[in-house]
Amino acid sequence: MINLLRGLIYFVVLVLIQVLILNNIHFLRVATPFLYLYFIIKMPVGTSRDVVVLSSFLIGLVIDMFSNTPGMHAAACTLAGFIREPLIRFFMGKDLPEGIYPSYKTFGYGGFFRYVFTFVIIHHVTLFLIESLTLFDPLFLAIRIGASVVTTTLLICTIEAFNIETQKSGD
Amino acid sequence: MRKLLDFLVRKRHWFLFVLLEIVSLMLIYRNNAYQRNIIFSSANVLTGHISSVSGYVTSYLDLHEINKELLERNGQLEMKLLELQDRLDMMMADTLTFTGFAPDSTEQFPYSFVLAEVVNNSVSHLSNYITVNKGRKDGIAPDMGVVSERGVVGIVSTVADKFSVIIPLLNPKSRLSCKVLGSSYFGSLSWNGRNTHYANLEELPRHVEFQKGDTIVTSGYSSVFPAGLIVGTVSDFEKQHDDNFFSLEVELATDFQSLNNVRIIKNYNQAEQRRVEQEARRND
Repeated sequence: MINLLRGLIYFVVLVLIQVLILNNIHFLRVATPFLYLYFIIKMPVGTSRDVVVLSSFLIGLVIDMFSNTPGMHAAACTLAGFIREPLIRFFMGKDLPEGIYPSYKTFGYGGFFRYVFTFVIIHHVTLFLIESLTLFDPLFLAIRIGASVVTTTLLICTIEAFNIETQKSGD
Repeated sequence: MRKLLDFLVRKRHWFLFVLLEIVSLMLIYRNNAYQRNIIFSSANVLTGHISSVSGYVTSYLDLHEINKELLERNGQLEMKLLELQDRLDMMMADTLTFTGFAPDSTEQFPYSFVLAEVVNNSVSHLSNYITVNKGRKDGIAPDMGVVSERGVVGIVSTVADKFSVIIPLLNPKSRLSCKVLGSSYFGSLSWNGRNTHYANLEELPRHVEFQKGDTIVTSGYSSVFPAGLIVGTVSDFEKQHDDNFFSLEVELATDFQSLNNVRIIKNYNQAEQRRVEQEARRND
């Protein structure tokens, strides 16, 4: 129940930040941060995989509705949500207690960063590949992916460092 | 059988994953086929209203610049008015030409416009869209032209009751028939997906004479825009591969990044022109 409420708050806040502010940022015309991935990243470890996939799809769909890109974010998010569990296992091993939230404290600084970075790369590569199907320009595509991955990862890692929830749970 | 069921239940996230991916891909496919699905675009009621609130707030931030543009435009129009008045006076004085100057009563200017406010605008994607706060209730229909104070913006694609979505020049799907001011040969303007300030005018015959800095205007052949609306200026040009056509780089007059108020142009004769053209094509 608490998890549901917490997820809902994360969902609404991140979607609003994304569509009202971040969608308008195009640093040097190539980099746009997609902070809303933080919602999928912060879901508790051990959430059943169909719930993760379904909520990833939903947040992607909502972002799509606001940015006029039907299906693109939804497709990329579904894939990212699907590989989240194997990714955590790969980086952190199987002996994580269930129900903890991914953070610097639980994953360690290096672990959390690697997890976020890989997750963001997979999502962005899918997203930008789908987007550029209509107009192919490999070099420009690579620049866009690289720049956006860096900005998104930096933003997520910064937000995580200031997240009130994580700091409270540490007391 | 039981094992099979067990297996299916255990691997249900796989099925969910495949199903959702198929749904997303269908959405993408439908979107690329044609822009008619209103539910999943920013023209639907909920997203439209949230966007219009944020558009309302951000519109204040650009007021200074818009004000300056309006003053400038106002000045230009005033000059034009003076010029026309001057010419009219001349003709009034010369009674011989004035009698012949009576306007033809069957000829009417078929265009009018509706003012609209931009509530959602993207410039960074490969396919960009603009949402405005006027829709079917205000008489907007698909395929109407849209201009800003500075120049052409794009063409209306999807219309809901109170909102409509515009395909701006900054979208690979948009093609606009344009010509160099003063000549009557036309080419088609499209966007290359990189810079929001530039678009390319292609298929312009090689013998057209122009220079850098010349004005590019709409040709008026498409029934969407009247002829002579400013699109941009020539910034660079090169010959195309087959050497019979020029490819021009056009610096767009409209600044898409700070777009707030636009005018949607209605053409009363558009339906009729379409019908006649279609009929001609059928008879061909």
